[in-house]
Amino acid sequence: MSDLLNIATIVLAGIIQASLQLSLGGLVLLYYSSMGHHKRRKTRYLAKSYIWGASAISFVIVCAGAFVLQNTLGGPIPHGWMMVAVGALIACALVMLLGYFRDGNGTELWLPKSVSRYITRRAKTANDNVEAFSLGMLSAFAELPITIVTYFIVANCLVGVRMPLAAALLYIVIVATPMIALKVGIKTGRNAIAVQQWRIRNKGFVKLFASSGFAIMALFIVAFWVL
Amino acid sequence: MGRKRITYEYTHDGIKESILRHAKSLRLPEGWGEQVAERVAKAADKWIDDKDVVTEDDLRNFISKELDDVSPDIAFAYRNHDKII
Repeated sequence: MSDLLNIATIVLAGIIQASLQLSLGGLVLLYYSSMGHHKRRKTRYLAKSYIWGASAISFVIVCAGAFVLQNTLGGPIPHGWMMVAVGALIACALVMLLGYFRDGNGTELWLPKSVSRYITRRAKTANDNVEAFSLGMLSAFAELPITIVTYFIVANCLVGVRMPLAAALLYIVIVATPMIALKVGIKTGRNAIAVQQWRIRNKGFVKLFASSGFAIMALFIVAFWVL
Repeated sequence: MGRKRITYEYTHDGIKESILRHAKSLRLPEGWGEQVAERVAKAADKWIDDKDVVTEDDLRNFISKELDDVSPDIAFAYRNHDKII
């Protein structure tokens, strides 16, 4: 399989994952709570640690996945097996469309209440960089039921690409882009609530974008990997 | 089995502190935040004066409505800060 196809798949998976809302929501909450308690400089450091945490765990998961595939199958999985991933992608597209956000005015997600309460509590009390880093990791972990399929596809592509480390870094940069954009937005004068208002106004679009992303990726894999 | 009821003592400073935190999160000028917090906390004092017990929801609704008149931004933040994820 050509490098170009692997990279295109990684980019598409990155864009889909970047459109998911848990890590971004956690960062908005961290910003909002931290700005009420701490100086701006400290808030900036906490946000940076959070982004590093969320990115680091994604990097570790895809690299570990690639390592496991390389050492068990000796390379990418057979193309026919990718139909399993296609099924999971279609399921994710439906989940995103039908039940990603809870009803109501906010941007609450259909996470177990205990998980969202735990993340909210941790975001409100995060006081140092280690806590913010682990909160970032936790938010990426909590979204695993949706993201595991994209991680799997990316790991599979990493096994077949010539420069896996560079490809993994490209993926992480794409995934972290919304969080970095939020950080830049807040640095240039916007506040977390303005961002939250934007998220509420556009949650239908976000849902549709992510859902279409999963569906497009399913078609992409069928067209270029399976057939 | 019923849920355990948790009670808190109402304080003027507690309300003020909470509104000030929202104002600070929104990067509003400190003096303005202080004025808004004081005004709303005083209104809440008056509202709660003739009541023995109020629920947290009632108090939050009252404060949100008061904030709507004074600072819609803080009102929005006060209502929605726990509906982010």
